[in-house]
Amino acid sequence: MDTVTALSFDNWMTQLRKGLLELAVLNSIAAAPLYGYDIVRRLSDVDHLVITEGTVYPILSRLKNSGLVETYIEESQEGPARKYYRLTPRGRADLHRMNQHWDNLHQAIGGLRKQGKR
Amino acid sequence: MMDMTPAAHQQLDDYLQRLRSDLRAAHPEVAEEVEQSVREHIEIALEAVPAPVSGTDMIAILDRLGSPEQWLAEEARAVADRSGDSGAGDSRLPYVAFGLVLVSIASFMFFGFLLLIPAMFVSRAWIEQKRERGEPLGSKRWLVYPSVGLVLAAVALLLLLVPPLGAMALIRHDVGRMFDVPSDPTGELRFHAGLRAVMAGSWWIIAGGLCAAFIRPIRFVFLPLLDRVRRKHFAMLSAIGALLATAGAALIYYRH
Repeated sequence: MDTVTALSFDNWMTQLRKGLLELAVLNSIAAAPLYGYDIVRRLSDVDHLVITEGTVYPILSRLKNSGLVETYIEESQEGPARKYYRLTPRGRADLHRMNQHWDNLHQAIGGLRKQGKR
Repeated sequence: MMDMTPAAHQQLDDYLQRLRSDLRAAHPEVAEEVEQSVREHIEIALEAVPAPVSGTDMIAILDRLGSPEQWLAEEARAVADRSGDSGAGDSRLPYVAFGLVLVSIASFMFFGFLLLIPAMFVSRAWIEQKRERGEPLGSKRWLVYPSVGLVLAAVALLLLLVPPLGAMALIRHDVGRMFDVPSDPTGELRFHAGLRAVMAGSWWIIAGGLCAAFIRPIRFVFLPLLDRVRRKHFAMLSAIGALLATAGAALIYYRH
Protein backbone atom coordinates (compact mmCIF):
# COMPACT_ATOMS: atom_id res chain seq x y z
CA MET A 1 0.00 0.00 0.00
CA ASP A 2 1.59 3.35 -0.98
CA THR A 3 1.68 6.33 1.40
CA VAL A 4 -1.19 8.22 -0.21
CA THR A 5 -3.48 5.17 -0.15
CA ALA A 6 -2.48 4.41 3.45
CA LEU A 7 -3.26 7.98 4.50
CA SER A 8 -6.68 8.03 2.88
CA PHE A 9 -7.48 4.60 4.36
CA ASP A 10 -6.48 5.90 7.83
CA ASN A 11 -8.62 8.97 7.28
CA TRP A 12 -11.57 6.82 6.20
CA MET A 13 -11.10 4.60 9.26
CA THR A 14 -10.99 7.65 11.55
CA GLN A 15 -14.18 9.07 10.08
CA LEU A 16 -15.95 5.73 10.32
CA ARG A 17 -14.78 5.17 13.89
CA LYS A 18 -15.95 8.64 14.96
CA GLY A 19 -19.41 8.02 13.55
CA LEU A 20 -19.72 4.56 15.03
CA LEU A 21 -18.36 5.30 18.47
CA GLU A 22 -21.53 7.07 19.54
CA LEU A 23 -23.66 4.16 18.31
CA ALA A 24 -21.36 1.70 20.07
CA VAL A 25 -21.53 3.62 23.38
CA LEU A 26 -25.33 3.70 23.27
CA ASN A 27 -25.53 0.00 22.40
CA SER A 28 -23.14 -0.92 25.22
CA ILE A 29 -25.61 0.39 27.79
CA ALA A 30 -28.77 -0.76 26.02
CA ALA A 31 -29.11 -4.01 27.99
CA ALA A 32 -28.08 -2.73 31.42
CA PRO A 33 -26.53 0.37 32.98
CA LEU A 34 -22.72 0.37 33.05
CA TYR A 35 -20.13 2.60 34.67
CA GLY A 36 -17.63 4.53 32.57
CA TYR A 37 -14.69 2.18 33.01
CA ASP A 38 -16.82 -0.83 32.09
CA ILE A 39 -18.10 0.89 28.94
CA VAL A 40 -14.52 1.68 27.93
CA ARG A 41 -13.42 -1.94 28.55
CA ARG A 42 -16.27 -3.32 26.43
CA LEU A 43 -15.59 -0.96 23.57
CA SER A 44 -11.86 -1.66 23.77
CA ASP A 45 -12.62 -5.29 22.93
CA VAL A 46 -13.89 -4.18 19.52
CA ASP A 47 -10.90 -3.92 17.18
CA HIS A 48 -9.89 -0.40 16.10
CA LEU A 49 -12.98 1.18 17.67
CA VAL A 50 -11.37 2.82 20.70
CA ILE A 51 -7.87 4.06 20.00
CA THR A 52 -7.53 5.93 23.31
CA GLU A 53 -9.82 5.13 26.23
CA GLY A 54 -10.38 8.76 27.21
CA THR A 55 -12.19 9.43 23.92
CA VAL A 56 -15.31 7.85 25.40
CA TYR A 57 -15.75 10.34 28.26
CA PRO A 58 -16.47 13.53 26.28
CA ILE A 59 -18.92 11.48 24.20
CA LEU A 60 -20.69 10.23 27.33
CA SER A 61 -20.85 13.80 28.62
CA ARG A 62 -22.33 15.00 25.32
CA LEU A 63 -24.88 12.17 25.23
CA LYS A 64 -25.89 13.09 28.76
CA ASN A 65 -26.26 16.77 27.86
CA SER A 66 -28.33 15.79 24.84
CA GLY A 67 -30.69 13.88 27.11
CA LEU A 68 -29.95 10.47 25.57
CA VAL A 69 -28.32 9.02 28.67
CA GLU A 70 -28.57 9.74 32.38
CA THR A 71 -26.28 8.94 35.28
CA TYR A 72 -26.58 7.79 38.84
CA ILE A 73 -24.00 7.03 41.49
CA GLU A 74 -23.78 3.62 43.13
CA GLU A 75 -21.46 2.67 45.97
CA SER A 76 -19.02 -0.12 45.20
CA GLN A 77 -17.54 -2.59 47.68
CA GLU A 78 -14.43 -2.95 45.52
CA GLY A 79 -13.39 0.69 45.44
CA PRO A 80 -14.67 4.19 44.73
CA ALA A 81 -18.36 4.86 44.03
CA ARG A 82 -19.19 4.26 40.39
CA LYS A 83 -21.08 6.59 38.11
CA TYR A 84 -23.48 4.46 36.07
CA TYR A 85 -24.80 5.47 32.68
CA ARG A 86 -28.21 4.30 31.42
CA LEU A 87 -30.36 5.15 28.43
CA THR A 88 -33.24 7.57 28.85
CA PRO A 89 -36.52 6.78 27.02
CA ARG A 90 -35.47 9.29 24.38
CA GLY A 91 -32.04 7.68 24.14
CA ARG A 92 -33.65 4.26 23.70
CA ALA A 93 -35.92 5.56 20.91
CA ASP A 94 -32.98 7.27 19.15
CA LEU A 95 -30.85 4.14 19.50
CA HIS A 96 -33.61 2.05 17.95
CA ARG A 97 -33.69 4.37 14.94
CA MET A 98 -29.90 4.44 14.71
CA ASN A 99 -29.68 0.63 14.83
CA GLN A 100 -32.36 0.33 12.13
CA HIS A 101 -30.44 2.74 9.95
CA TRP A 102 -27.22 0.84 10.60
CA ASP A 103 -28.89 -2.46 9.62
CA ASN A 104 -30.23 -0.93 6.40
CA LEU A 105 -26.83 0.51 5.60
CA HIS A 106 -25.09 -2.78 6.33
CA GLN A 107 -27.55 -4.64 4.11
CA ALA A 108 -27.18 -2.11 1.30
CA ILE A 109 -23.38 -2.22 1.41
CA GLY A 110 -23.58 -6.03 1.46
CA GLY A 111 -25.77 -5.92 -1.64
CA LEU A 112 -23.33 -3.63 -3.42
CA ARG A 113 -20.44 -5.93 -2.52
CA LYS A 114 -22.31 -8.92 -3.90
CA GLN A 115 -22.95 -7.08 -7.16
CA GLY A 116 -19.27 -6.18 -7.35
CA LYS A 117 -18.25 -9.82 -7.00
CA ARG A 118 -20.42 -10.96 -9.91
CA MET B 1 -6.65 7.06 45.97
CA MET B 2 -4.39 4.09 46.55
CA ASP B 3 -0.78 3.97 47.67
CA MET B 4 1.64 5.06 44.95
CA THR B 5 5.29 5.98 44.51
CA PRO B 6 6.25 9.66 44.20
CA ALA B 7 6.99 9.09 40.49
CA ALA B 8 3.48 7.69 39.94
CA HIS B 9 2.01 10.56 41.92
CA GLN B 10 3.89 13.05 39.78
CA GLN B 11 2.72 11.36 36.57
CA LEU B 12 -0.89 11.49 37.75
CA ASP B 13 -0.67 15.12 38.89
CA ASP B 14 0.85 16.16 35.55
CA TYR B 15 -1.86 14.32 33.62
CA LEU B 16 -4.72 15.83 35.64
CA GLN B 17 -3.14 19.27 35.31
CA ARG B 18 -3.00 18.83 31.53
CA LEU B 19 -6.58 17.56 31.49
CA ARG B 20 -7.82 20.58 33.46
CA SER B 21 -5.92 22.95 31.24
CA ASP B 22 -7.31 21.33 28.06
CA LEU B 23 -10.82 21.35 29.53
CA ARG B 24 -10.66 25.07 30.22
CA ALA B 25 -12.26 25.81 26.86
CA ALA B 26 -15.15 23.43 27.56
CA HIS B 27 -18.40 24.34 29.26
CA PRO B 28 -17.86 24.21 33.08
CA GLU B 29 -20.44 21.39 33.46
CA VAL B 30 -18.82 19.30 30.74
CA ALA B 31 -15.35 19.99 32.14
CA GLU B 32 -16.39 18.88 35.62
CA GLU B 33 -18.13 15.78 34.34
CA VAL B 34 -15.24 14.66 32.14
CA GLU B 35 -12.62 15.29 34.84
CA GLN B 36 -14.69 13.36 37.38
CA SER B 37 -15.13 10.43 34.98
CA VAL B 38 -11.44 10.32 34.10
CA ARG B 39 -10.51 10.36 37.80
CA GLU B 40 -12.95 7.50 38.45
CA HIS B 41 -11.48 5.60 35.49
CA ILE B 42 -7.94 5.96 36.84
CA GLU B 43 -9.00 4.90 40.34
CA ILE B 44 -10.71 1.75 39.03
CA ALA B 45 -7.79 0.96 36.72
CA LEU B 46 -5.42 1.27 39.70
CA GLU B 47 -7.36 -1.39 41.62
CA ALA B 48 -5.87 -4.02 39.33
CA VAL B 49 -2.31 -2.81 40.02
CA PRO B 50 -0.32 -4.02 43.07
CA ALA B 51 0.41 -1.28 45.62
CA PRO B 52 2.41 0.86 45.72
CA VAL B 53 1.64 1.87 42.14
CA SER B 54 4.88 2.45 40.24
CA GLY B 55 5.55 5.20 37.72
CA THR B 56 5.62 2.60 34.92
CA ASP B 57 2.19 1.23 35.86
CA MET B 58 0.80 4.76 36.02
CA ILE B 59 2.25 5.63 32.61
CA ALA B 60 0.65 2.49 31.14
CA ILE B 61 -2.79 3.49 32.47
CA LEU B 62 -2.45 7.10 31.32
CA ASP B 63 -1.15 6.03 27.90
CA ARG B 64 -4.24 3.89 27.40
CA LEU B 65 -6.39 6.88 28.34
CA GLY B 66 -4.54 8.96 25.75
CA SER B 67 -3.88 12.66 25.40
CA PRO B 68 -6.82 14.81 26.58
CA GLU B 69 -5.88 17.42 24.00
CA GLN B 70 -6.31 14.88 21.21
CA TRP B 71 -9.64 13.41 22.29
CA LEU B 72 -11.13 16.76 23.19
CA ALA B 73 -10.19 18.14 19.77
CA GLU B 74 -11.73 15.05 18.17
CA GLU B 75 -14.93 15.57 20.18
CA ALA B 76 -15.05 19.27 19.24
CA ARG B 77 -14.82 18.33 15.56
CA ALA B 78 -17.52 15.68 16.01
CA VAL B 79 -19.85 18.23 17.61
CA ALA B 80 -19.22 20.72 14.82
CA ASP B 81 -19.83 18.04 12.15
CA ARG B 82 -22.95 16.84 13.95
CA SER B 83 -24.51 20.28 14.11
CA GLY B 84 -23.74 20.68 10.42
CA ASP B 85 -22.00 23.91 11.24
CA SER B 86 -19.37 25.02 8.80
CA GLY B 87 -18.28 27.71 11.20
CA ALA B 88 -19.08 30.46 8.71
CA GLY B 89 -22.01 31.83 10.75
CA ASP B 90 -20.04 31.80 13.98
CA SER B 91 -17.04 33.47 12.51
CA ARG B 92 -19.10 36.57 11.78
CA LEU B 93 -19.96 37.20 15.43
CA PRO B 94 -16.48 38.39 16.50
CA TYR B 95 -16.41 40.78 13.52
CA VAL B 96 -19.86 42.10 14.44
CA ALA B 97 -18.71 42.61 18.04
CA PHE B 98 -15.55 44.40 16.96
CA GLY B 99 -17.51 46.50 14.45
CA LEU B 100 -19.90 47.60 17.19
CA VAL B 101 -16.92 48.64 19.35
CA LEU B 102 -15.57 50.79 16.51
CA VAL B 103 -19.01 52.34 15.85
CA SER B 104 -19.36 52.94 19.59
CA ILE B 105 -16.06 54.85 19.68
CA ALA B 106 -16.92 56.81 16.51
CA SER B 107 -20.39 57.76 17.75
CA PHE B 108 -19.30 58.45 21.31
CA MET B 109 -20.51 62.08 21.05
CA PHE B 110 -24.06 60.94 20.32
CA PHE B 111 -24.58 57.66 22.15
CA GLY B 112 -21.76 57.54 24.69
CA PHE B 113 -20.62 53.97 25.05
CA LEU B 114 -24.15 52.57 24.72
CA LEU B 115 -23.24 50.39 21.73
CA LEU B 116 -20.67 48.56 23.84
CA ILE B 117 -23.51 46.69 25.53
CA PRO B 118 -24.75 44.88 22.38
CA ALA B 119 -21.10 44.33 21.41
CA MET B 120 -20.53 42.65 24.74
CA PHE B 121 -23.64 40.43 24.28
CA VAL B 122 -22.50 39.36 20.81
CA SER B 123 -19.00 38.59 22.12
CA ARG B 124 -20.30 36.57 25.03
CA ALA B 125 -22.68 34.62 22.78
CA TRP B 126 -19.75 33.62 20.57
CA ILE B 127 -17.50 32.77 23.53
CA GLU B 128 -20.25 30.63 25.08
CA GLN B 129 -20.82 28.80 21.81
CA LYS B 130 -17.11 28.01 21.59
CA ARG B 131 -17.01 26.83 25.18
CA GLU B 132 -20.02 24.57 24.72
CA ARG B 133 -18.25 22.89 21.84
CA GLY B 134 -14.99 22.70 23.74
CA GLU B 135 -13.22 24.64 21.00
CA PRO B 136 -10.37 27.09 21.65
CA LEU B 137 -11.15 30.76 20.93
CA GLY B 138 -8.21 31.04 18.54
CA SER B 139 -6.98 34.29 17.06
CA LYS B 140 -10.53 35.72 16.79
CA ARG B 141 -10.43 36.25 20.54
CA TRP B 142 -8.71 39.57 19.84
CA LEU B 143 -11.90 40.73 18.13
CA VAL B 144 -14.08 40.00 21.16
CA TYR B 145 -11.68 41.01 23.93
CA PRO B 146 -12.13 44.80 23.33
CA SER B 147 -15.89 44.77 23.97
CA VAL B 148 -15.66 42.56 27.05
CA GLY B 149 -12.60 44.50 28.28
CA LEU B 150 -14.16 47.94 27.79
CA VAL B 151 -17.41 46.97 29.54
CA LEU B 152 -15.36 45.39 32.33
CA ALA B 153 -13.31 48.60 32.69
CA ALA B 154 -16.49 50.72 32.73
CA VAL B 155 -18.16 48.52 35.34
CA ALA B 156 -14.98 48.44 37.46
CA LEU B 157 -14.71 52.24 37.36
CA LEU B 158 -18.38 52.66 38.23
CA LEU B 159 -18.12 50.15 41.04
CA LEU B 160 -14.95 51.60 42.53
CA LEU B 161 -15.51 55.34 42.17
CA VAL B 162 -19.20 56.18 41.87
CA PRO B 163 -20.42 55.07 45.34
CA PRO B 164 -17.73 56.98 47.33
CA LEU B 165 -17.95 60.07 45.09
CA GLY B 166 -21.76 59.95 45.32
CA ALA B 167 -21.58 59.75 49.09
CA MET B 168 -19.16 62.68 49.13
CA ALA B 169 -21.52 64.77 47.04
CA LEU B 170 -24.40 63.93 49.38
CA ILE B 171 -22.63 65.04 52.54
CA ARG B 172 -20.74 67.96 50.93
CA HIS B 173 -22.89 70.64 52.57
CA ASP B 174 -22.85 69.00 56.00
CA VAL B 175 -19.08 68.45 56.21
CA GLY B 176 -18.51 71.80 57.90
CA ARG B 177 -21.11 71.01 60.57
CA MET B 178 -19.90 67.44 61.12
CA PHE B 179 -16.15 68.15 61.36
CA ASP B 180 -13.84 70.91 62.44
CA VAL B 181 -12.50 71.78 58.95
CA PRO B 182 -9.24 73.78 59.09
CA SER B 183 -9.36 77.24 57.57
CA ASP B 184 -5.82 77.19 56.09
CA PRO B 185 -5.61 75.85 52.48
CA THR B 186 -3.12 73.04 53.31
CA GLY B 187 -5.18 71.79 56.25
CA GLU B 188 -8.40 72.02 54.25
CA LEU B 189 -6.82 70.09 51.35
CA ARG B 190 -5.49 67.46 53.75
CA PHE B 191 -8.93 67.11 55.35
CA HIS B 192 -10.82 66.73 52.07
CA ALA B 193 -8.24 64.31 50.64
CA GLY B 194 -8.45 62.29 53.86
CA LEU B 195 -12.25 62.25 53.79
CA ARG B 196 -12.26 61.01 50.17
CA ALA B 197 -9.69 58.36 51.00
CA VAL B 198 -11.76 57.13 53.97
CA MET B 199 -14.91 57.02 51.84
CA ALA B 200 -13.24 55.24 48.91
CA GLY B 201 -11.26 52.90 51.16
CA SER B 202 -14.31 51.90 53.20
CA TRP B 203 -16.28 51.27 50.04
CA TRP B 204 -13.46 49.18 48.51
CA ILE B 205 -13.44 46.98 51.61
CA ILE B 206 -17.17 46.33 51.10
CA ALA B 207 -16.83 46.01 47.29
CA GLY B 208 -14.01 43.47 47.68
CA GLY B 209 -16.19 41.41 50.02
CA LEU B 210 -19.22 41.61 47.69
CA CYS B 211 -17.18 40.64 44.63
CA ALA B 212 -15.61 37.71 46.52
CA ALA B 213 -19.10 36.54 47.54
CA PHE B 214 -20.40 36.75 43.97
CA ILE B 215 -17.22 35.61 42.22
CA ARG B 216 -18.95 32.97 40.05
CA PRO B 217 -21.46 35.24 38.29
CA ILE B 218 -18.80 37.94 37.91
CA ARG B 219 -16.37 35.47 36.34
CA PHE B 220 -19.13 34.16 34.08
CA VAL B 221 -20.20 37.58 32.80
CA PHE B 222 -16.65 38.66 31.97
CA LEU B 223 -15.35 35.38 30.58
CA PRO B 224 -12.67 34.78 29.50
CA LEU B 225 -10.94 37.89 30.85
CA LEU B 226 -11.70 37.07 34.49
CA ASP B 227 -11.22 33.34 34.08
CA ARG B 228 -8.26 33.32 36.42
CA VAL B 229 -9.55 35.78 38.98
CA ARG B 230 -9.73 34.24 42.42
CA ARG B 231 -11.20 35.35 45.75
CA LYS B 232 -7.73 36.38 46.90
CA HIS B 233 -7.67 39.11 44.24
CA PHE B 234 -10.84 40.65 45.68
CA ALA B 235 -9.36 40.21 49.16
CA MET B 236 -6.46 42.32 47.87
CA LEU B 237 -8.94 45.03 46.84
CA SER B 238 -10.35 44.98 50.37
CA ALA B 239 -6.82 45.16 51.81
CA ILE B 240 -5.96 48.14 49.58
CA GLY B 241 -9.23 49.73 50.71
CA ALA B 242 -8.28 49.20 54.34
CA LEU B 243 -4.87 50.81 53.75
CA LEU B 244 -6.45 53.74 51.92
CA ALA B 245 -9.07 54.24 54.63
CA THR B 246 -6.38 54.14 57.33
CA ALA B 247 -4.24 56.67 55.44
CA GLY B 248 -7.32 58.87 54.99
CA ALA B 249 -8.18 58.65 58.67
CA ALA B 250 -4.60 59.66 59.54
CA LEU B 251 -4.86 62.67 57.22
CA ILE B 252 -8.11 63.76 58.87
CA TYR B 253 -6.70 63.23 62.33
CA TYR B 254 -3.59 65.30 61.59
CA ARG B 255 -5.43 67.98 59.60
CA HIS B 256 -4.36 70.84 61.85
